[in-house]
Amino acid sequence: MSVKAFELVPAVERDLLMGDKARINIECIECCGKHLYVGTNDCFIHHFLLDEVTSAKGKLSYSAQKLLHKYLGLKKPVAELRAASALERLIVLCDGVVFLVDMVTLETVPSAAGGGAKIRGVIAFCINENPVNGDPFCVEMGVLSSKRRTVQIFMVYEDRVQLVKEVSTPEQPCAVSLDGYFLCLALATQYMILNYNTGAHQDLFPYNSEERRPIVKRIGREEFLLAAPGGLGMFANAEGVSQRAPVNWSESVIGAAVCFPYVVALDESFITIHSMLDQQLKQTLSFRDGHILQDFEGKVILASTKAVYVLVPLPLERQIQDLLVSHRVEEALILTEGAQRNIPKEKFQILHKRILQQAGFIQFGQLQFLEAKEHFRKGQLDVRELISLYPLLLPASSSFTRCHPPLHEFADLNHLAQGDQEKVLRCKKFLISYLGEVRSTEVANGCREDVDTALLKLYAEQDHDSLLDLLATDNSCLLADSVPWLEKYHKYFALGLLYHYNGQDSSALQLWIRVADGDLQDSTRSDLYEYIVDFLSSCSNLDLVWKYADWALRKDPTIGVCIFTKRPATKELPELNPDDVIGYLGKHKQALLLYLEHLVLDRQIQKETFHTHLAVLYVERVLSLLSESPTDDEQLTKARERLQAMLRESNLYRVQYLLGKMENCEHLLLERATLHGKLEENEKALHILVHKLRDFPSAEAFCIWASSRRDSAYRQQLFHLLLGVYLDGSLPGQSQIAAGGGSGELEMAAVDLLNRHGEVFDAVRVLRMLPEGWSLQLLRPFLGRAVRASMHACRTSQIALGLAHSENLQLLHDRLKERKKPVVVSAKKGCHLCHNTFSEPDVVCLPGGVPVHTHCVAQRVRDSPTKRQLTNRSNHT
Amino acid sequence: MPEVSKLRKPDVKIVLLGDMNVGKTSLLHRYTERRFKDTVSTVGGAFFLKQWGPYNISIWDTAGREQFHGLGSMYCRGAAAVILTYDVTNWQSLAELEERFLSLTDTANHDCIYAVVGNKADLTDPKAQVHQDSDSVSEEGPRTESQVLSACPTPPASPVSLSGLMLHKQVTHEDAVALYGRLLRYKGLDEKASLPADKMCFETSAKTGYNVDTLFETLFDLVLPSILRKRNENKESPTVDLEDCRGTGKKTRSSCC
Ligand SMILES: Nc1nc2c(ncn2[C@@H]2O[C@H](COP(=O)(O)OP(=O)(O)OP(=O)(O)O)[C@@H](O)[C@H]2O)c(=O)[nH]1
Ligand SMILES: [Mg+2]
Repeated sequence: MSVKAFELVPAVERDLLMGDKARINIECIECCGKHLYVGTNDCFIHHFLLDEVTSAKGKLSYSAQKLLHKYLGLKKPVAELRAASALERLIVLCDGVVFLVDMVTLETVPSAAGGGAKIRGVIAFCINENPVNGDPFCVEMGVLSSKRRTVQIFMVYEDRVQLVKEVSTPEQPCAVSLDGYFLCLALATQYMILNYNTGAHQDLFPYNSEERRPIVKRIGREEFLLAAPGGLGMFANAEGVSQRAPVNWSESVIGAAVCFPYVVALDESFITIHSMLDQQLKQTLSFRDGHILQDFEGKVILASTKAVYVLVPLPLERQIQDLLVSHRVEEALILTEGAQRNIPKEKFQILHKRILQQAGFIQFGQLQFLEAKEHFRKGQLDVRELISLYPLLLPASSSFTRCHPPLHEFADLNHLAQGDQEKVLRCKKFLISYLGEVRSTEVANGCREDVDTALLKLYAEQDHDSLLDLLATDNSCLLADSVPWLEKYHKYFALGLLYHYNGQDSSALQLWIRVADGDLQDSTRSDLYEYIVDFLSSCSNLDLVWKYADWALRKDPTIGVCIFTKRPATKELPELNPDDVIGYLGKHKQALLLYLEHLVLDRQIQKETFHTHLAVLYVERVLSLLSESPTDDEQLTKARERLQAMLRESNLYRVQYLLGKMENCEHLLLERATLHGKLEENEKALHILVHKLRDFPSAEAFCIWASSRRDSAYRQQLFHLLLGVYLDGSLPGQSQIAAGGGSGELEMAAVDLLNRHGEVFDAVRVLRMLPEGWSLQLLRPFLGRAVRASMHACRTSQIALGLAHSENLQLLHDRLKERKKPVVVSAKKGCHLCHNTFSEPDVVCLPGGVPVHTHCVAQRVRDSPTKRQLTNRSNHT
Repeated sequence: MPEVSKLRKPDVKIVLLGDMNVGKTSLLHRYTERRFKDTVSTVGGAFFLKQWGPYNISIWDTAGREQFHGLGSMYCRGAAAVILTYDVTNWQSLAELEERFLSLTDTANHDCIYAVVGNKADLTDPKAQVHQDSDSVSEEGPRTESQVLSACPTPPASPVSLSGLMLHKQVTHEDAVALYGRLLRYKGLDEKASLPADKMCFETSAKTGYNVDTLFETLFDLVLPSILRKRNENKESPTVDLEDCRGTGKKTRSSCC
């Protein structure tokens, strides 16, 4: 798992440093801005100016210019160099002595009066980069002395050093690092943290410093990196806790530094680079004769014994891109997220989003759709980037161009799938579900048209059920782009919906009609014709209704008429004038009939013309059925039943007109009788029924029907009339009128009538009318009932009389009682009925002695439904 | 993405200790990745951050190899719970706990909780052979009988098959309980006031998942008071907490996922 995170760039080459003197070695280095100082084993300090040069290709190199070199005069190697730039001093350790030299002239700084500028017996020292004391004109230094088991804290000034603290250690320390009050020390057998202010200490872990060179490297605030047994790089903080997992170095590490997020370490022949984020080894660079690795203000500088190099980190983005190129998505994301704190927030967010998007596309390319989707979501991907991968999905009018540099390596879906149709299909399925999910979220903001149009195309192509749902609800599909696509896939019904959604109902209808007529093939709806009818029935554009209703009616008048009969009565829809519709339906008889039925029977519109028209149509239908030969009896019966019902039930049609229509038709006698009935020409009606039709049950039914909304006297009259007709017809001498029937038949009808409906007749009148010769036996049921009825009436009236009489007596009794008391009438007391005062002494007294106006009582008696004769009981006072 | 979660700051630490090869890494894998996979002997140490409710718990997997023994104290420093792991088929691994690892826990918190865990129970105990969960990540709720029965048995590559012979169990539950008692004595803790051995001695199998969730989740629940105490201390502490000023962000920062 390698990454190219760093590049080794030469800084000072051998020639520049020592020319051809073979025995000279680099001992230590210090870098401060552009100033590079090199200490050598021959007691020289070399001062270079290091300039960064970027080539036209963006390649970084260094040019070193030698400014000065100076012999320190001690004949011993320069062991350590540290710059105190604020003081313009270099702190030098050479031959166990720490002293100061001028950064520019490299002259040794002479001791100031009253204080030395030298510390003797030093084996190692370190600078506190995070001193608690914030004085900018002095530098805090931790010093390990060769003689005592102590650590000394010095303050270094421009021209002197001052001991401020001395703490003892349990063993001889051999390496030191300092942060705040915390000393991190490598002792002979272990590491430890020592607070020089409080003296508190914390053992870290054992380490044999004699066997292996310890490393104590401050890597940040109160955190140190230590070489641990087994070639580990261990992290420890000032509390003695490890908060990061260790990295696995080789056993012979010489130096280490952190260049976030990497730990860089040097051993005899390699530079190893581990990530602090996942502890993995990321890069190995071979480096011979490695000697020094140190970081200066974030810049990692290495030295072999003869030359100096800079380890230049490649830009983070480049590293991340490298990882992405090798499809190491997780690592790239870890690296990105790990860099969060090193990058300004805004820049990070942009970078992070982009990496997430790229990661998503890599996973998309591997058909890991779930992961891809998650990364697209987190990276707030412009969906069009994804759509644009699918050829032709984006509308031609879309302003979208892919982002640059590109987020992925794919030209398009075909490139990605390499001809694998199965893959293409899976990608399409994914896009369908993805677009379906995002189309109503803010992800689609600003590109709804592109999203919806793409979705429409996919649905159409994949024959997806949701196509219709998409078009039937709010959508932003672009018409111009969708039309050819839907046509290509024969989605004419859907196209019609889209036309409709875009307010082009006319186009929609034209298209659908062509499908319904079979000119175009689209099996989406088998009931397309019904759909069109339904569509027209609720179409707000009346012109279209008039235009296409004809087509629908011609196809199927009974369904087509629904355009008019099923039209919802809502405010949004313009109403259709029934007269216009009737006019329009003129040439569609069957539909017209259905429409009139709708008006008259369903909507119960009380308008003469509709009723008459409907009745006439019924008549015409019956007539036309009659004229057929052979006649379809079943049909005819049905048609006549309808006609008869209409004639019976409606009171609005023009009776005379209809009578005229069927005057000459001997088949429609029953209907004519009904019409006569309507005209109250009952005799004519009965004549037809009895004499022409000889249909006695109908004659009877007629009497019941014709008197159904009348009082009993009228009914009696009708029945007597019918009886009269029967009896007259049966008289000898007149019977020749009856066509083929004997007078006996009429007689029997009369007998049946009497026996069946005896209660309606006035028995006395009947008895007078009956021919003398009829036997009593024949009329027995009638007479029995008549006698019983008359007895019953007599008894009932006797009871009523008795009751009235007793009531009268009771009231008389009351009156006598009341008489004893005066009935008080005053102008102040009001009448109980009208509440007005009395102006005259004449009053009527209600039972209980309540006085009321005479006229009030009269009024009440008049209004009262019961015939109580209050006035009888009035009592004038 | 567990790696990303490493950027979060842990609230509490749990440390796995034990001789090499007892299965510490395997246990952690089983718990975090819900599977049993090949391991290499751990170098140094590694840790995993577990989100438990609102808390981040870091679980440190240490190296059992002698070479890294010295690092143990440091890993244990400030630990709220230590899992002392042995291998039920290896008596020496239990002995090592007492001889080598117990003293490492001196740096742990005063109220540190100890669990004694005998791993590889699948090698000696038939009931630990049934797989506790499938290798798929999703498994929730109590497992039904039928699921357990239909789970596939240990593959034949293992030295033991369901029908085959069992390895000799070298360490009994009683041995572990006894160790736990000695541990409490070593810590100067009153047996009655401490968590009972029954509760704190586990037998597990990283291979089948047997008891693994129970082990970790029992411990998580037990360390919660420790988290709350730590939070309170931080609140009350009058000194500035330098930890909190670090670039890694505040303790209270919630994770993004
Ligand atoms: N049968 C069985 N084998 C196991 C079990 N757990 C671990 N192993 C095996 O034991 C060996 C060691 O496992 P590790 O998890 O690497 O052990 P460790 O404790 O992490 O070892 P170090 O990292 O060296 O300290 C591996 O071969 C595992 O496959 C278990 O529950 N049952
Ligand atoms: Mg391990």
